[in-house]
Amino acid sequence: MILSVAFFVLVALAFFREYDSEWAPYEKHFRLILEQHNRIDDARRFSVGIKQIWNPEMGVVDRCVTCHLGYDWGSVLPASLPQPFTPHTALPYLEKHPFLRFGCTPCHGGQGWATEKVAAHTGGEHWDDPMISTEVAGRYQMTMGQMVQMRCNFCHRHDLSTQGMDQINLAKQLFKKKKCLICHTVEGKGGMVGPELTFHGDKSPELLDFSHVTGDKTMFNWDYQHLMDPGKVSPGTTMPTFGFKPEEARALTMMLLSWKHLTFPPQYIPSPIEVAPLQVVHLPAEAPNVPGAEDGRKLFQTRGCNQCHTIGAGKLIGPDLAGVGSRHPADWLRGWLADPSAMIRANPDLAKWPDEFGGIVMPNQNLTPAEINAILAYLQKV
Amino acid sequence: MRDQFLKLWEKLTWSWAPRSERESGEAIVQNLWLHWFPAKVARRSMSWNYSLYFGVAAASLFLILTVTGLLLMLFYVPATSEAYGDMKDLQFAVSFGWLLRNQHRWAAHGMVLVVYLHMARVFFTGAYRGQRFLNWIIGVILLMATLLLSFTGYLLPWDQLALWAVTVGTNIAREGPVVGDTIRYLLLGGTEIGQNALLRFYVLHVFILPVSVWIMFGYHMWRVRKDGGMAAIEPLKFARKAEPKQPSATKSYSLFGLTRGATVQVLSSTELEEKDLAFSSPDLTRRIVVVFLLVFNVTLLLSLLSNAPLEEAANPALTPNPAKAPWYFLWLQELVASTTIGIGSYRISGGLIGGIIVPGLLLGVLAVWPLFDRSPRSCEGVWFAPERRWQNITFAAITVVIILLIAVGLGIRGPYWRLYWPGQPWPQMPRVL
Repeated sequence: MILSVAFFVLVALAFFREYDSEWAPYEKHFRLILEQHNRIDDARRFSVGIKQIWNPEMGVVDRCVTCHLGYDWGSVLPASLPQPFTPHTALPYLEKHPFLRFGCTPCHGGQGWATEKVAAHTGGEHWDDPMISTEVAGRYQMTMGQMVQMRCNFCHRHDLSTQGMDQINLAKQLFKKKKCLICHTVEGKGGMVGPELTFHGDKSPELLDFSHVTGDKTMFNWDYQHLMDPGKVSPGTTMPTFGFKPEEARALTMMLLSWKHLTFPPQYIPSPIEVAPLQVVHLPAEAPNVPGAEDGRKLFQTRGCNQCHTIGAGKLIGPDLAGVGSRHPADWLRGWLADPSAMIRANPDLAKWPDEFGGIVMPNQNLTPAEINAILAYLQKV
Repeated sequence: MRDQFLKLWEKLTWSWAPRSERESGEAIVQNLWLHWFPAKVARRSMSWNYSLYFGVAAASLFLILTVTGLLLMLFYVPATSEAYGDMKDLQFAVSFGWLLRNQHRWAAHGMVLVVYLHMARVFFTGAYRGQRFLNWIIGVILLMATLLLSFTGYLLPWDQLALWAVTVGTNIAREGPVVGDTIRYLLLGGTEIGQNALLRFYVLHVFILPVSVWIMFGYHMWRVRKDGGMAAIEPLKFARKAEPKQPSATKSYSLFGLTRGATVQVLSSTELEEKDLAFSSPDLTRRIVVVFLLVFNVTLLLSLLSNAPLEEAANPALTPNPAKAPWYFLWLQELVASTTIGIGSYRISGGLIGGIIVPGLLLGVLAVWPLFDRSPRSCEGVWFAPERRWQNITFAAITVVIILLIAVGLGIRGPYWRLYWPGQPWPQMPRVL
């Protein structure tokens, strides 16, 4: 008898736990907010239930939107609404990162699967990817906007510089300026004095030696303190002390921690360099006929010069070659056709040239001397 | 076609509307469910104090596991890319997913414990003697199957806890002589724990082992009937006195009026006395339902109070420190750790000693113990019979040692397998941010 009563009580408790969810009151409140802002139809159509942004291509299952319901209502709802209803801050690059394709966690971190506040934001004891909140960023004397850039760099790693990522851009400049590749290998290039850093962000913090690190045992602290004073954190190291300012070391740490082994479909890979858009209208034109230079003209087309150069039709990928014979002496042109990179290295005033053409240096076409002569004869007549 | 259908229908439903007295009788006599239990069962067998209903509890837990397991199967894909996410879905998004998983986990732990307690009860009551030896062997096999079921299920969440517990277990298996590596290769479908291992463990866990257990369980129950009932009736048989009995007043005991009088079977029965018997329906069935309800309530309560653990996603590149086997194998891990010693440059394989030889010996001794039990048959079906004192003490001592080893492994072993007293904090684990 007692057992039957206990059974009913326990089953009732189970139902209570199931339906007394954290998120339901927020959703009901949001419906009220919609009504208050005169969106009666939307309020009527609003259904209470777990919501998620699901993009299997990116491995995104983000149930943040079960509570953070105002994220896409920026055009209607005011920014002054309290969390979790606040619309997403209007940011210039949001358009390139639509919510339904990227979700929330790729940028913000946290545990997308969760439908409870603590589990979603910090993840609890067994989740090492907390949401980048003001509190987390504050631990390292940064703002949330600065620390989130670390996650931007997960994908934008190969950009030379990206708008909106001032900290990471600084870190990339420092990386080049301080010549870290002399001792460290990154993506196959560099020295072998120090450890490889290609996927530094994937290394496990439990394998680091924290005996000389002060404060919390976090990888961020380890990397930061190591950058500021390598000899203290790794006694006996040959890594010099670079005298970084704290914000420089923080930026570098963020960049290092962003270097992870992530795979995502090609359509999500940002293009590393903004290439001058091809003028779609302009197909590679027939090279103009020039009497006495038939071979050169044929080579101009068969060797693919007309893929990048027009003659008289403007800049394509490389410059318009109309009249190039009068702009450069024959020897110069001969040298250029033989080995463009060598020419740039030999002539300091050519150093800035590639910047005009999206950073692209003309590849060596491996032309035979006979081919060079023929093309030269053609170019001098166009 | 219609004829065949009608014939089939007749075959299935004839007993719903018997057409003759004969058919009415057959409808009862041929019914499996009405005869699942004997019509009458000895009171002593049904007594709470005798069996403590551990066997029924184990069966109840297995039923709960089967049902929750079937439902969980709807949400779980045994792929390394999906499994962890499915566990998270169960925890957060599936209606009552948390309840399914928690109950499944608690019932699983409970079943390992209750099966062991059932075996202990059978041992302490000496109920494995004589014709019941075969059932004892089936029971030992069922114990192994239970442990294997728990072990294969442990891997399925594909989190750090799962991956490394199975690593410990399969690495011990590797130490087996001659066939160790092959067994590990077969179990894992390769040399490392990855997708192949997950799939094999899944198939073992949801099909091969449960079906085998259900079949063996049926056999285990059938053997009880074939052996004449539970061993609790043996003392009753001993206590039987030859008493003259009154033939029943309502019976004629006459064969077509040609013979007269009753036979010896009527006058002195080979069956148990009526006073020692009770109707299995309602008494036994009611008690079984009560035990099931109790077991269900306990698992439900535990599910409400405590969530099944889920650690970080499985990461073969990072071993948690410490990496522990599931609790029912922790005593083995303790043995392995303490028998892994180096003498000079020679390394004794703790895996072989602690992981293969010791449990193998224990299992072997357990299986053949009934053959070496020389106590008088009067000890059968009696709790803690004095003539079996040393046997019982040995069993209890081994159980206590196992419990102690498990307790040490659970509560006291910390990182680097050092000892940390309860309350003594472990060193802080580093994080990324």
